[in-house]
Amino acid sequence: MRPRSRIDYQLEDKFDVVLFLSVFLLTGIGLVAIYSATLHNPSASGNFTKQLFWVGVSTTIFFITYFASPRSFNLVSVPSYIFTILLLVAVLVIGKRVYGQKCWIDIGPFSMQPSEFAKVGTVLFLSMFLSREKTNIESIWSIITGFAIGFIPVILILLEPDMGTALVFLSLTVVLVFWKGISLFGLFTMISPGLAVFSSMFGTVPFIICLAAVAAGLFFFKKKLIISGAIFAMNLGAGFIFNFVFKYLSPHQKQLIETFVDPNSDPLGAGYNAIQAKVAIGSGGLLGKGYLMGNQTQLRFIPEQWTDFIFCVIGEEFGLIGSLIVVSLFFFLFFRLLKIASQVRERNEFNSFVVIGTLAVLFTHFAINIGMTVGLMPIIGVPLPFLSYGGSSLMANMFLVGIVANIYKNRKQYT
Amino acid sequence: MTNSRKFGTDVRKSILYYILVSFCAVLVFQLFNMQVIKHEFFDEKSADNSIKGIVQTPLRGVFYDRNYKIVVNNKPSYTLLITPSSYNRKLNNVIETVIGAEPGYIDEILEDNIQYSKYIPIRVQRDVSFQVISWIEENKEQLPGVSYIVDMEREYPDSIMASHMFGYTKEISRKQLEADKGYYDMGDFIGNNGIEKTYEKYLRGVKGVKYMLVDSRRREIGRFKDGLNDKESIKGDDLVLTIDADAQKAAERGFKGLKGALVAIEPKTGEIIAFVSSPEYDLNNFTTVTPKEIWRNLNSDPDKPLYNRATLSVLPPGSTFKPLAAIAALEEGVITPQTVINCPGGFYFGRFFKCHGGPHGPMTVEHALEKSCNTFFYQLILRIGLDKWSDYAKRFGFGHKTGVDISEENRGIVPSTEYYNKRYGPNGWTKGFIVSLGIGQGELSVTPMQLAKYVSLIANDGKSVKPHLVRGYMDPETKKLVPFKFDPIDTKVSKKTMEIVKHGMYLVVNGAGTAGNAKIPGITVAGKTGTAQNPRGKDHAWFMGFAPYEDPKIAVAVLVENAGFGATWAAPIAKSVMMAYLNKSSLPQNQTVSKDSNGLKNQNALKDQNVPKVQNGSKEQNRPKGEEKIVAASIKN
Repeated sequence: MRPRSRIDYQLEDKFDVVLFLSVFLLTGIGLVAIYSATLHNPSASGNFTKQLFWVGVSTTIFFITYFASPRSFNLVSVPSYIFTILLLVAVLVIGKRVYGQKCWIDIGPFSMQPSEFAKVGTVLFLSMFLSREKTNIESIWSIITGFAIGFIPVILILLEPDMGTALVFLSLTVVLVFWKGISLFGLFTMISPGLAVFSSMFGTVPFIICLAAVAAGLFFFKKKLIISGAIFAMNLGAGFIFNFVFKYLSPHQKQLIETFVDPNSDPLGAGYNAIQAKVAIGSGGLLGKGYLMGNQTQLRFIPEQWTDFIFCVIGEEFGLIGSLIVVSLFFFLFFRLLKIASQVRERNEFNSFVVIGTLAVLFTHFAINIGMTVGLMPIIGVPLPFLSYGGSSLMANMFLVGIVANIYKNRKQYT
Repeated sequence: MTNSRKFGTDVRKSILYYILVSFCAVLVFQLFNMQVIKHEFFDEKSADNSIKGIVQTPLRGVFYDRNYKIVVNNKPSYTLLITPSSYNRKLNNVIETVIGAEPGYIDEILEDNIQYSKYIPIRVQRDVSFQVISWIEENKEQLPGVSYIVDMEREYPDSIMASHMFGYTKEISRKQLEADKGYYDMGDFIGNNGIEKTYEKYLRGVKGVKYMLVDSRRREIGRFKDGLNDKESIKGDDLVLTIDADAQKAAERGFKGLKGALVAIEPKTGEIIAFVSSPEYDLNNFTTVTPKEIWRNLNSDPDKPLYNRATLSVLPPGSTFKPLAAIAALEEGVITPQTVINCPGGFYFGRFFKCHGGPHGPMTVEHALEKSCNTFFYQLILRIGLDKWSDYAKRFGFGHKTGVDISEENRGIVPSTEYYNKRYGPNGWTKGFIVSLGIGQGELSVTPMQLAKYVSLIANDGKSVKPHLVRGYMDPETKKLVPFKFDPIDTKVSKKTMEIVKHGMYLVVNGAGTAGNAKIPGITVAGKTGTAQNPRGKDHAWFMGFAPYEDPKIAVAVLVENAGFGATWAAPIAKSVMMAYLNKSSLPQNQTVSKDSNGLKNQNALKDQNVPKVQNGSKEQNRPKGEEKIVAASIKN
């Protein structure tokens, strides 16, 4: 075996070049954009240097993970989940309030965002749970346990409150359960209440249309009347509970929802960012205004642009070409993750779940972040993976893709 | 496991794949839509963000006196600026020495402004001398970040104080800003009192705006569309006042060291020729930001220089009110010009009311005015009756604001039955209260402004125009005067009555009366003195008069506080104002004027002579010196 493997050795066999290149190109573009966004901002002038440091740390994490023992991830899944859940509880107790949210814990000179690391713990633990032989996705208890693993961090993060990150966990849980093989009916039962809540945000008529669709779906599944009735009642209840909960949401969150439904309702307040982000990207045109030349970026029309609105810098200064390069890199990355996940599924289900979990986390961030800057999503603050400024997010994401690279390297073992 | 075959990994992979592809497709479509199809729309919005509108503050209108002489002007004042982004603090020492500031002064100001953009210039010192400016010009290369702007400030070229009349401008207050409907910005100056306040809307002009392109550091890099969208500021309207600079100066000179007020009116037109409240304050201290120390001194001064005595002081008019009683009595037929009343040296009505300087013996109303006999007027008011008398006082404007076109005014008190009933109850007062009103004492109180209006009404046989200080404004296009309209006043008193009263006042000055010292050689003066009893100190002196007696061109009312007898202190001031005003109009070139029935023709002639000068003057000032302010327009989207 050994001599042959030496002869046939190629870089692609052990190292996923597409994955590595797309991730590190995105990180590089992120540095370029952060430099531009913070250049004329005295309060953020040190952020480029700090991010350089985080890129260094994250790269190290990536390679450590890459060279780690392939078995270690399954082993650490339970402790890492428990540890990150404890961190999420801690942040609610000792956390620092920034813009009305408690998402940060101070560690020495740094601030840490536990919810970023909780993604890793949740991906690992949920993958471990779903890949157990005992887990039967057609049993209601397995489904409930699986969702419970995902929903504990969702609830803790909603308490911060950080709606965007909670959505990431929600999506992560749904995608993993879906990947496990939940029946269409099970998926329908799990997802439809969420759609009911979403439609009720837009008023009574969309809510009724949604309920009608649910009723049609139930008819299609031809289940027992009592089950169908219970599910319909669940949907109806979800819509009403949301309206009840809405009254108790913080004004900040209410405004988020209201400005999503109608961004022009508050052009100088919460809608301001939505409008300015679109102006920045739209004014970039085909080729952009040139690096460091975007007036929206340089004149700081968007607050804290180096974090959640980093895509605006690219859209404005590098135009459609720049935007498409970023979107394409993400697309290659996602496609690659999907391919690896299905490749390794037969040999090691846990690995497949971890890769799909990584895909779910990165894609949800990507969709919410770019979606909000181009006006397809409400302004929900989540960072754009690899591009936005921030150490916690970058380290957690690099750790996840590091695991994927490790899985790729070891994909042919365990046969 | 049947399930996984039917709906297995491959299907689930495809579903996720299509979700990925379709989301990315939507994203690409939306990006294409925004960055290519709607690019122009967003580009325009973004351009709004990079254009800075700079407000051009217009020049304030100037004031001319009635002879088109500039009495309030604008002058440039230099303000030293430092732009922190390009400034080097090593220059602090040099600059502080040059502007004569204490060490550390610049650092302090820079620290105060640390929260603003470092690309916006900071005002370091106002009113720096021209030498400093030339020094900056000469050493430009060595002084990065140091510059200056030219602000305009008020100048009072004719050594006229007239502080209460002209008023001053002051930085707009938060309250005023909130009440404003969009003209003013923070830091703007607004008329605070006097003419500057009343005519603010004429004086302030129309703001302009200059659009500049700014680069990413908010530095100006050029004009937007070559200034196509710019709007020039329009200078405020120049006002033509009714005052006569020489008469005003004479009045101010007369009040040197005295407290009181003077108002002189042209009887036919209601135009105020001179207006003084003494002590004055120096308007030159109010041209920019007034130092706190000056405010403190003015507010704590026991003589209250900020108080406008001409319209706010209310005092009993004393004997100056006797002509009013005479008018009421003659008009009501209570007496005839020939009615004789005896003065035995006083009058008994419940108690003894003394006549000063008496006994005067029997006399008619004219001689009672001449000698200012109290006995006569004690009895006269009883014959007229309180309410009739009070009605006449109100016809001459007492108890009401005169409506003069500057700031606040007191209405004074004219007692009537209603007034006494209210104050003391229907049975709480007797006719004895009325007696002293006949000689202008008791609860009667008037302002110098009211007295001036009254004497001008007497001089012009009961008819005049609401007193005012501004004749009109100069039309910026035609350079012709656009007059303001003021309401006429008619007391409906017969000319015959007025002739008798005026003759009485003639005798006061020219007969055996109390104001012989008001005589002017070559001009006949008529007048009346008065003393307002002051329970707290020396009496206040009044004098009112008009001249020439035959065709009154000026009517004056004077109040000198704590001076004693009216004729001694008040009459000479009135006389000097009359002389200053009338002697000028008797100069050879102006003698044609008096032949002219109302002098209108001559005024036009004067205007034509002066207009070219006016034009030149304003052109000179029209150099672009507007104060620059950055508007927040760039934030609006």
